[in-house]
Amino acid sequence: MIKKLSVLSLLLTLVLIFTACSSGSGSGSSAKKETSKKVLRVVNDATYPPFESLDKGKMVGFDVDIMKALGKVSGYKYKLVNVGWDPVFAELKSKTADMSISAISITADRAKTYDFSKPYFLSTNKILVSKDSSIKSAADLKGKTVAVQTGTTGQAAVEKIVGKNNPKVKKFKTISLAIMEMQNKGAVAVVADNTVIEQYARNNPGKNLKVVEDKDAFEPEFYGIMYPKDSKLKPVFDKAINKLYSDGTYEKIYKKWFKVAPDLDTLKAQQ
Amino acid sequence: MGVNPIDIIREYLPFLASGTLFTIGFSLAGIVFGTILGLLVCFGKMLNNKVLSAPFVCYITFFRGTPLFVQILLIHFGVVPAIFGQSNGIISGIVALSLNEAAYIAEVFRAGIQSIDEGQTEAARSLGMNRLQAMRYVVLPQAVHRVLPPMGNEFISLIKDSSLLAAIAAPELTYWAQAMGAQYAITWTPYLAISFIYLILTLTMSFLVNRLERRMATK
Repeated sequence: MIKKLSVLSLLLTLVLIFTACSSGSGSGSSAKKETSKKVLRVVNDATYPPFESLDKGKMVGFDVDIMKALGKVSGYKYKLVNVGWDPVFAELKSKTADMSISAISITADRAKTYDFSKPYFLSTNKILVSKDSSIKSAADLKGKTVAVQTGTTGQAAVEKIVGKNNPKVKKFKTISLAIMEMQNKGAVAVVADNTVIEQYARNNPGKNLKVVEDKDAFEPEFYGIMYPKDSKLKPVFDKAINKLYSDGTYEKIYKKWFKVAPDLDTLKAQQ
Repeated sequence: MGVNPIDIIREYLPFLASGTLFTIGFSLAGIVFGTILGLLVCFGKMLNNKVLSAPFVCYITFFRGTPLFVQILLIHFGVVPAIFGQSNGIISGIVALSLNEAAYIAEVFRAGIQSIDEGQTEAARSLGMNRLQAMRYVVLPQAVHRVLPPMGNEFISLIKDSSLLAAIAAPELTYWAQAMGAQYAITWTPYLAISFIYLILTLTMSFLVNRLERRMATK
């Protein structure tokens, strides 16, 4: 019996190793081939509703629908893979992935290492607090414990006010953990992209939350598709994005997820 | 791009230092509370009455049978807020590590105690000691000596396991490495730096356990 078991476990280990190897080399060789119809590896961090999240194991969200539309327009086949926030950057840097659509704000810092598409989304950081909170502006966050997602522009926006790596800024790997921390009173506020926290407040009316806006402290941000530096895909998908703007697909997807009409003029003005 | 790793480490040195202190603190708290609680759980499990020992058996089953990471999330977002009214990464960290460690320590101790020959207890009892005295003066001193090496193992795993607390924003080493990596979009510098620090911590621990073993060695 024990012998059988050990043979079985050995087999299982071998199978695991083989699958790990084959999938590894598979993506490696596909990254080298530059045929136009190869399957693109598109990575994201599917913990960020309504942009990308898992619903009963299926990836859903605004970005997922936009990517579907972009794939249709550009004729590219792709595989959307949830790898997590930090690995998104690591994969593009090492070019093991072709692109990422994951609610990534275009920043000068990131643009030094990566290429960005034309902006496809307008976003502002806002503050999520409980209804009875005294916080009315970003300046009120000084001295308070604030929860953010690690490495996001929300973190940068808060740290600009309270100081970099201030111990009162609690950094979580996912935005939902940060919001949970606030609801358990481990923090008084969460700072993140408006769409995410507005949707959370709207979907959880029983939790007595409100969203505070501070246009002076938090500048508008634009999301872009991120590529490895000097990617040949950028012009293809830039054209596809404009096609979605002009044929109404963008507006349809936007309304589906955010219930309001998009500010297309500001987006186009950024191009 | 072009950011010098040395500069980044220098920038984050104070955070890595405080992170190291937190890691040491979490580990020590886990070791102390885990050992005390583990000893109690061990005696509870060894009770002859099945009904009385059942809760201790359940305790060990749960904390050994579920991932520590899951336990940390449960305790941080569930148990601690329910008791203290608000979540607190440091309390959650200490509680989670101690409870988890206790389950393992309990089993290590049980193995140690049961490895002492029954005849020793019988001899002690025939000398007029009661059960408690036999345990306290005859069995336990020998058991402690035997369980030191596996305990050392547990302590070393505990130091490494404390890195999981980064998920609940407990400001320990891994938490700061993640912050560092996220800020500069780098991998090697932060994680190699903390690997080095973890190595120093675990090597120190095994050195201490070795010395203790030698001091307690029966000549």
